[in-house]
Amino acid sequence: APLSSGWLPALQFVRRGSKAVTRHWKAMHFQRQKLMAVTEYVAPRPAVPPRCLAPRKETLEKDNGYVRLLRRQVEEVFRNNRLIAVCQYNSMPGEDVVLMRHYLRKHNIEVKFVLNEIVRPVLSQSKYKNLLPLFVARNILLVSREAKVKEMLRVLKGVPQINLLGACIDDTILSRQGVENFAKLPSLEASQGQTVGALALLPSQTSSLLQRGSAPLTALLDQHIRRLQAGETGSPAEPSPAQSSG
Amino acid sequence: AGIIFPERTKLKFMDKVPAVPKVRREPRRLRDIRGPSQVATDFTQGQYGIMALGGGYLHWGHFEMIRLTIGRSMDPKTMFAIWRVPAPYKPVTRKSLGHRMGGGKGPIDHYVTAVKSGCLVVEVGGRCEFGEVKPFLTQVARKLPFPAVAVSRDGLQQMRQEEEEKKLNNQNPWTFERVVTANMLGMRKYLSPYDLRLKGRYWGKFFLKHRV
Repeated sequence: APLSSGWLPALQFVRRGSKAVTRHWKAMHFQRQKLMAVTEYVAPRPAVPPRCLAPRKETLEKDNGYVRLLRRQVEEVFRNNRLIAVCQYNSMPGEDVVLMRHYLRKHNIEVKFVLNEIVRPVLSQSKYKNLLPLFVARNILLVSREAKVKEMLRVLKGVPQINLLGACIDDTILSRQGVENFAKLPSLEASQGQTVGALALLPSQTSSLLQRGSAPLTALLDQHIRRLQAGETGSPAEPSPAQSSG
Repeated sequence: AGIIFPERTKLKFMDKVPAVPKVRREPRRLRDIRGPSQVATDFTQGQYGIMALGGGYLHWGHFEMIRLTIGRSMDPKTMFAIWRVPAPYKPVTRKSLGHRMGGGKGPIDHYVTAVKSGCLVVEVGGRCEFGEVKPFLTQVARKLPFPAVAVSRDGLQQMRQEEEEKKLNNQNPWTFERVVTANMLGMRKYLSPYDLRLKGRYWGKFFLKHRV
């Protein structure tokens, strides 16, 4: 029989490196790292990816009192003012904006900043449906009670960042060319005077028309009288044939 | 709805050294940091609390910080707070600075409490909402030596539910638990016997939240 039947353990733990619990993140054995990588959580994928499904349009029709107020304001604007011009607005320095507003205010034109999402439903319900395509991207409204288009165009020409897109003058929708033509039109008094002159042209011509028949005859007779008078200075003859025909 | 206010609504003062200081120096026993907590895992009196998501030691400085911050930010008339963690009991030795190794174990420097992951540190309750309590609880949780979160009863329940759901709907057929219990590919040679219980969610004092 052997002296002492002892046995060696099958597993020998290696007493090297740090303990099990450390303050720092202890480096894992590579096999353990591989095991951790293999046994990670894999989330379940839906049968149809969410991209293919129709997007849930969350139409938040938050009936804000604020939104209603803004809509009312826009409707008022459209009702009260004769001239409404829509312009594209690129970002301008603040002082330029103030200067422009000042110039336009002198001519009694107001500058209004409006949000497209408020203006579009208002327009689609009113009769200004053709103004809808204008209200895309950043824009401003120039509104006034009188139609001072020439001054407005002058001011806008001085400001390069604002481009006129279209206008609604006296409920007539005009494009940019239409606005320019409208500006080139003479003012009301001048056009009135023009019409009066055009109307008065015909009666002024009636007297000349009536006289047209006898005008060559009178001219001829006058010539004759002059010849006779010129002949009379040489020999005094009677102007009787001129008197009898006159 | 049936909230019982304790006598003192503010947190009790925790002393640095226990009433009977220890004479015998104790071994380090870092296993009191490792793994999930069996103590103080659920709410008792309060509705909101700070849960530890990692292991660590809390010393007197931490206790004072918690006590003062919570005492400052809460309303003692409507809210109350209680400790879920005992006062420092474990002695930690330190050798004096600048000496070489050797010469025996150092003297006791201070006392700490061991906190495992999943343990609640403080509980807050009363007539208040989670929204009121959350800011200062997160402020405290950030300052603790281990990662911690402010939780409510519902939040904790939801966390546990989510964990179980993750376990159920995991598409990966290979889980740590399965590999370890069956000792697939001789993996147990590279793993600790504690991994049978810890199942790959704990590594040292850290709690790996993202693992199943």
